[in-house]
Amino acid sequence: MSSLEVKDLHVTINGSHILQGVNFFVPENKVTALLGRNGVGKSTTLKAIMGLNPGTGSIKFGGTEIVAMPTHKIVQMGLGYVPEDREIFSSLTVKENLALAARDDEPNYDLVYSLFPELLTRTSQRAGTLSGGQQQMVAISRALLNKNQILVIDEPTKGLAPKLVTEVANALAHVADHSTMLIVEQNLALVKAIAQKIIVMDQGIVVFEGGPENLRDESFVKSMLGVSGGHK
Amino acid sequence: MLRWKYSRPLLVAVTLIFALLPFIGNNPVTNPGLQQTMAVAFLYGALALTYDLLFGFTGLLSFGHALYFASGIYVTAILINTYNWNFYLAVLAAIIFTSILAALTGAASLRTTGITFAMVTLAFGQAGHVIITRDFGGLTHGDNGLPINADRIPSFFIGVVNTKFLYLLALGILVFIYLAAWWITESSAGRVFAALRDNEQRVSVLGLNPNRFKLLSFVLSAALAAFIGAGMLVVSGGGSPRFASSETTIALLLMVILGGPVTRWGAVLGGILYSVLGTRLNSLSQGSTFDSLPTFIKGPLSEPAFTLGMIFILIVMFAPGGISGAYYRARFKYLNKGK
Amino acid sequence: MSTFLLILITGVGLGALYFLVASGLSLIYGLMGVLNFAHGSFLTIGAFTGLWVSTKVFPNPTTWTFIAAMIAGGIAAGLFALVMEQLVINRLYNRHIDQALVTVGVALVVAAVLGGWFGNDLRLLPTPLWFMKAVTIGDAIIPIDRFIYIGVAAILLTAMLSILKFTRIGLIIRAGVENRSMVSALGINVRLAFSTVFFIGGFAAGVGGVLISVFSYGVSPGMAGSWLIYGFIVVVVGGMGSLTGSAIAAMLIGITNQFANYYVTGLGDFVVVFILAAVLLTKPSGLLGKVSH
Repeated sequence: MSSLEVKDLHVTINGSHILQGVNFFVPENKVTALLGRNGVGKSTTLKAIMGLNPGTGSIKFGGTEIVAMPTHKIVQMGLGYVPEDREIFSSLTVKENLALAARDDEPNYDLVYSLFPELLTRTSQRAGTLSGGQQQMVAISRALLNKNQILVIDEPTKGLAPKLVTEVANALAHVADHSTMLIVEQNLALVKAIAQKIIVMDQGIVVFEGGPENLRDESFVKSMLGVSGGHK
Repeated sequence: MLRWKYSRPLLVAVTLIFALLPFIGNNPVTNPGLQQTMAVAFLYGALALTYDLLFGFTGLLSFGHALYFASGIYVTAILINTYNWNFYLAVLAAIIFTSILAALTGAASLRTTGITFAMVTLAFGQAGHVIITRDFGGLTHGDNGLPINADRIPSFFIGVVNTKFLYLLALGILVFIYLAAWWITESSAGRVFAALRDNEQRVSVLGLNPNRFKLLSFVLSAALAAFIGAGMLVVSGGGSPRFASSETTIALLLMVILGGPVTRWGAVLGGILYSVLGTRLNSLSQGSTFDSLPTFIKGPLSEPAFTLGMIFILIVMFAPGGISGAYYRARFKYLNKGK
Repeated sequence: MSTFLLILITGVGLGALYFLVASGLSLIYGLMGVLNFAHGSFLTIGAFTGLWVSTKVFPNPTTWTFIAAMIAGGIAAGLFALVMEQLVINRLYNRHIDQALVTVGVALVVAAVLGGWFGNDLRLLPTPLWFMKAVTIGDAIIPIDRFIYIGVAAILLTAMLSILKFTRIGLIIRAGVENRSMVSALGINVRLAFSTVFFIGGFAAGVGGVLISVFSYGVSPGMAGSWLIYGFIVVVVGGMGSLTGSAIAAMLIGITNQFANYYVTGLGDFVVVFILAAVLLTKPSGLLGKVSH
């Protein structure tokens, strides 16, 4: 069971009450997109799920309560995390970055190198010298190496050139076919392409849970997300 | 309101009582020996408070605070002894010199934060200690210490009979420092210091330059420390390199932790207690209380640093607010009883 | 020329000793954010253990007994570091200031206990006779002990770099120095890395303690004071979390210290503080620093 159920999640950081009772459900084997304007608490929510932010309330993964679990145990349960801003280790080589992430007996390097053939030629290169797009490939690959039950991904196409956005989007679409995914993404075209469910947040709570077809409605998009259209 | 409404009048009353003690009847404080001990304790209480301004209030963990204290002592002493300056002018000059020194070292140290800052201040403090012990130009007399030229000090401080005036001087300095600290922390600059401790980002967002305020806090606490140093010079009769040592700064840290940071009276209490405890532990260890114990236990127990270190570890691990923190926690519980 | 060589090699020897102290400090701070004031205690414990081995266990000093003393000193210090980490540091997880404070307390207690058990007098650590001999290079006469310090430090540096580069725990440590929370986010329990780093740091300091006893002609409970401070300076100059940075900085500081002291006694300490200030004003993260705590 790889569904995620979040109930009444509160997160306070440095005195700011950022998440004020977040409720939502991430169904298994589907891609759920978490949307919202900047600053509403999307990344904070993902971090709370991963145990990187202290939260109160309930977060159940496959029925198990994980809200107070230490991060590494949460990850070992099968949650693969791709953070905003990549956070790859710049002093380690590509190979080392991937090796660090490998938990299973047989990590799936085939998948990684078939999705991102560029990485194969750069295994000994220091990750700090890679381009932004290549670093993002490493960050995503880390989550793909292991047989994760759910992928938790934070803005994978942020700051990438259009060509790379397409490449990453294709890789995600390929993976989305057979996994559960919770993805925060501002690129609505990508969301429309791969998501089966959308959740919209505003000011620390969830204001909408529904299907991606709603994104075709311009007034919906404007009021919920503060942007006109989604052509990126 | 966590503060007991009679706490301020109580403080004033306690201070008055302490001021009158040397003159009343036959209580222990009429003894010059105890007066001397208390005078030193008052000064350390004041010094601990200046350190609390830096560490407790502004959140700057400095390991070189002793440098400015020692600077106050030695600059005053040197100006009086070697250059025959007038006592009061020498003290003033020492405070000014120390402030400039703090501005320079502070500016360099504040290029770093947190833990690195601590290390850097430690290094500067050590440099000061080295300057004093190496006795450059024969000015500081190194390890021998620098006794003050008694002729140049106002005569009502000289002589055992006048120890009670040293006692009053120290108490007066403590009161002055306490009022100064109170004024600083309640002022708008003081609010910024507290904000810096909690969340530096918020301070910059308000358009205030965090570094400028950190430097202000640094220089202010150093200047006050120098002032206390001049007092210590008179009370103890001379300078000594140990005033500049890292041991002294660590003692200050212990004092603030013992009494509890940020509460002002906590630091003063911690300073006085530590100073008195230190003297008591020292005499205990030189005495024969522990003679019947096996060396295995007796050895460490007769080293004051053992007891102090253990108390320190226990407080940090289990009672981080020190004495004043425990008091306020208890008071909070008492006020909320039955709610 | 001969004096130049003597001062240079003594400086490098001194740098080797600084490196042994600084390496642990750098890794511990780099990975865990802990400012370890008890590091001097590791040094002293190592020295006392070495003393015990060289006097009580093997009454006649030979090269082998000295090697045994170094290893024993390293292990004793490493184990103490490990215990300290488990009992005390671990309980204050993420409370960095409190962790630093607690190490101050531990340093006080250890010095007091050692002083209480053994007294505060200086005791000589017996060494094999050939340590005190000198070697002639060109027309310079150089005491052999310098080369021993350099040799041991070089061996330990190589060993530590190898562990970092070729083992999984080393990989975890290198990544953790850069970004500890991300390592957890990869499902790795960084606790093991913490204990490893404390043990390694303690071991190096312990070995350093034995060698410092030879250099300073004695073991005493208070011996670590100024070495710890120099260790801190080396770490700040070299960059937190970087072993190579510490090595380079240690050499730089050792050599300049010796040369400065040659021209004016006592100038060495100043010059070092001056270097510290200069590095801080130009590159606050240190020469090879990479930590962003």
